[in-house]
Amino acid sequence: MFATLAGKALVPVGLAVSGFMVVCCLVLFSVIRDDLHRGEIVHATNLADTILKSTRYAMHKSDRETLATIIRNVGEQKGVDHVRIFNKKGVVTFSAKSGEINRQVDKNAEGCVVCHKGAEPVTNLGTMQQARTFKNSDGKGVMAITAPIYNGPDCSTAACHVHAASQKVLGTLDIGLSRTELDRSLAMLRIQMIIFCLMSLILTIGGVTALLRRNVFLPLQKLRTYVELSAEKGDLPEPPPHLPHDLDVIANGFYRVKHDAADKKQNSGASA
Amino acid sequence: MTDKCAQQRPTDPVIPRSGAEQLKDDLTKEINRLNGLSTRGVMALALFLFVSILAWFGFLFLPAPEAVTAVLGKPPSGRIISIVLLLYTFSAIILSLSRMTAGLEHRSSFSHVGYLTGFFIFYYFDTSLTDNYWAVFGSGITVLGVESYRIWNFCAEGIAKNKEDMEYVTRTGRPPPEE
Repeated sequence: MFATLAGKALVPVGLAVSGFMVVCCLVLFSVIRDDLHRGEIVHATNLADTILKSTRYAMHKSDRETLATIIRNVGEQKGVDHVRIFNKKGVVTFSAKSGEINRQVDKNAEGCVVCHKGAEPVTNLGTMQQARTFKNSDGKGVMAITAPIYNGPDCSTAACHVHAASQKVLGTLDIGLSRTELDRSLAMLRIQMIIFCLMSLILTIGGVTALLRRNVFLPLQKLRTYVELSAEKGDLPEPPPHLPHDLDVIANGFYRVKHDAADKKQNSGASA
Repeated sequence: MTDKCAQQRPTDPVIPRSGAEQLKDDLTKEINRLNGLSTRGVMALALFLFVSILAWFGFLFLPAPEAVTAVLGKPPSGRIISIVLLLYTFSAIILSLSRMTAGLEHRSSFSHVGYLTGFFIFYYFDTSLTDNYWAVFGSGITVLGVESYRIWNFCAEGIAKNKEDMEYVTRTGRPPPEE
């Protein structure tokens, strides 16, 4: 296969074109996935911000029932895996899932350790660092955001339940969004890219093969048949018509050489 | 046919026996050299596969990216590395195909393993190796595959030509005609 003209023409072209296309698709897929992931983080951060702003008044008033209702309603939204609020000790005080309330969270758990790995917990994290991805108990992908609930002058001076002004973080809101839709979109994109790669590969190989066959291999075959016939038969046939220019020159050259040789032979036979 | 060609070249000098032996020795050495060279592309490919296995397991022997970036500063972003990877792949393929067309002997395969290892390491320090592993792997297989084919093809043609020359020298005792 590698020694034939077709192999020599097709192997490097096929390898180079298909390989480069695969690399382009892989890089493009990685960039798209990264963009979608960033978009999802921004969406989750905005949602967390909305929840914090919506619940702030209820927190000031220490209206636990309203707060619990807001958290439960947000948790019932399609695509929301969990919503919970921890207090400073890491105890779940509000959650969309009633079974989680009053449960202690391990500070070394994923999502907590980012801030709690040092002796002093980190109080300011960038948006991207707040996000984490994991699989929930059902085995479905979840992207979660942990947003701190900061102390403010209106909290530390409130009459109802005063927090010390030195306390920077009062608690944490943890919201998780299901990645099922995102994973499904990425899987579809992956399949489409594989199909696109295969189609491009078939078109490239097919196109090059068709052109080579039409313009090179068939004329070569004609020339070869002509040379073989000339060698077998005594009389010299005319060169085949409609050959590409280069092969036409070879065929005519061969014809002239054979013709001259035949003439010389005839003349020498006549003189003898 | 070759005998006829030899008869048609009365001006070709018949070299002394020792000269013919010397020529045959030279041709044998050249064939052996080309035989050795023909596996160079495959060796580079094997080395790249070994590096890829190390990258797959996250370069366990390298220090953590955080420790290195704390000293050296932030690496280029994954997106910049990906753009450079695409440019590199494109240039390497074009260069290899050009060398194939020109019939040049060039032993660049192992340098490509170095460049590709660099890409793996940059992605590792950017902590985006998992997302971009297959892109570097695909690029390596493509570039080294084309390079291996070029080197193997160059050597196969060279060996065939030298064997023909050897046969000519053995049969006629003359140096082979220049192309």
